[in-house]
Amino acid sequence: MAAPEVHHLFHHPIADHSFSADRQTLAIARDTQVELYGRVGNAFKLKDELKGHDKLVTSVDIAPNTGRIVTCSQDRNALVWEPSPTGYKPTLVLLRISRAATFVRWSPSEAKFAVGSGDRVIAICYFEEENDWWVSKHLKKPIRSTITSVAWHPNSVLLAAGSTDAHARVFSAFIKGTDQRPEPSPWGERLPFNTVCGEFLNNSAGWVHAVAFSPSGDALAYAAHDSSITVVYPSAPEQPPKAVISINTQLLPFMSLFWNGETEIIAAGYDCEAFRFQGGEQGWQLAGTLEKAKAGRPGLGGEDREESALNMFKQMDLKGKVSNDDTKLKTVHQNTVTMLRPFEESGGRVTKFSSSGVDGRVVIWHT
Amino acid sequence: MSIIQQHTQATLSDAWRTINIDALTEDSPVNFDVSTLHPPLPEISEADARAINGQVRQLLRGGDAEGALRGCLEMPVYNGSEAAKETHLHTVIEVLQSIKASEMTPMLQRIYGQQGGSECLDVLMKYLYKGMGATSSSSAADGSGRATPARAMTPQATGFSQVGQRPMAANESTGSAMSVLLSWHEKVVEVAGLGCIGRVMTDFRRV
Repeated sequence: MAAPEVHHLFHHPIADHSFSADRQTLAIARDTQVELYGRVGNAFKLKDELKGHDKLVTSVDIAPNTGRIVTCSQDRNALVWEPSPTGYKPTLVLLRISRAATFVRWSPSEAKFAVGSGDRVIAICYFEEENDWWVSKHLKKPIRSTITSVAWHPNSVLLAAGSTDAHARVFSAFIKGTDQRPEPSPWGERLPFNTVCGEFLNNSAGWVHAVAFSPSGDALAYAAHDSSITVVYPSAPEQPPKAVISINTQLLPFMSLFWNGETEIIAAGYDCEAFRFQGGEQGWQLAGTLEKAKAGRPGLGGEDREESALNMFKQMDLKGKVSNDDTKLKTVHQNTVTMLRPFEESGGRVTKFSSSGVDGRVVIWHT
Repeated sequence: MSIIQQHTQATLSDAWRTINIDALTEDSPVNFDVSTLHPPLPEISEADARAINGQVRQLLRGGDAEGALRGCLEMPVYNGSEAAKETHLHTVIEVLQSIKASEMTPMLQRIYGQQGGSECLDVLMKYLYKGMGATSSSSAADGSGRATPARAMTPQATGFSQVGQRPMAANESTGSAMSVLLSWHEKVVEVAGLGCIGRVMTDFRRV
């Protein structure tokens, strides 16, 4: 396993990050703007800033094929940034929400996107040709609280959403005229807009931080604030699921997760490092960390400080004790990891993934 | 002062910021019973709690401390009267105090390794915190030297109850009860990790 590639961009939290399809451009949500970094050799250099929001940008997503960037912010707006020869041109989306927009993701078809919000709705946005305008339809029932994250099913119709009312839900976000009628799946056969295909709660009912469908779309995983991961296998429409497996861990809660094939989930959060879970319908278990034991942590630098007598007395003088800089964590990320995304895939497996966090680092890992 | 100016001042006041707009929205969480989000929990009466107490004591007398501990952790009183909850807290603390310090960690590891063990230790952690709350909020202890969650057990209504409740002996036994809880807390965190504390804070099921 090769060493992770660390990019320390700045000393400021990163709310979300997204790579373009060719992996040469990296979009970072920083404060009220989105920064675009271009790859120059081994590093990423700032090349453009997208300014249009006037409150914290909470989420950013680049559509791999069209290259469009969608951003959403606490100013209750979402913007679609269209690439053009003279730079990115923003278009405002009519979200019709009265609270912050918290999370945005393009559907795999790239014809629409979902915006989660603090207004207890998910806005499903699509382009209306005749008006030349992005409009939205609201998924409302039975959401009782803020939406923290959303994830699309591979068929671009089903949408999973995690919420602070402790539920992970699966909705139909079928838009007539935009979507093809989906193939029947264990989640449902007829799927008009706002069909609730599943509603799941784990034992201790903590806030749900992250949701993800498995690559086939036939399983759903979510991470909650009770340091657990729950995997749901649906059986048939309107039937109770085949299996609901909850793994309570000894760790701090996870903020983000993704599937690596059907039998592995990688999750990271307040422990500042990524963990691997393995299993299937019969059961899941924590298989360990992706952090390497000790060696090969580039990017931290200056660690092998000389243990000279001078240094020791210096430490004693400064801090009253001899310490090896105990303000530095043993992990690559020095603060909470807030977002994980697959970076490179081959043969149905994720071979590399990227993570970003509160410490202003973007790290590319090998699985 | 003209009317216009007064009007402007009224408009400029920031009293509107204190209006709870959630109360005006029909389907906001303020106007919604949050408890309906969870499945209902079975109700346990005080008599049931006493029955569990009896069974657990029997196990303790038989020398099966682990069985006693598991027994009371598998039947937490989530939904019940205050008295039933206090009785059960009592049962748990009784078991905890009867287990030797050297047996704590191996016993916790065995419980954690079993089916549903993580859940059991979460429940134990809830009772540890509840016990700490009860012993620190009042310094009463009953004759047998056990820590007594005093609110239910000392129902005297004298105006000077606090004075009466603070002889030196009681203070000492509260201290010892607290130290038992603290050493259990340390051991549980060692076995079940920080996630266990997080779950206690997150969980909607309160003991």
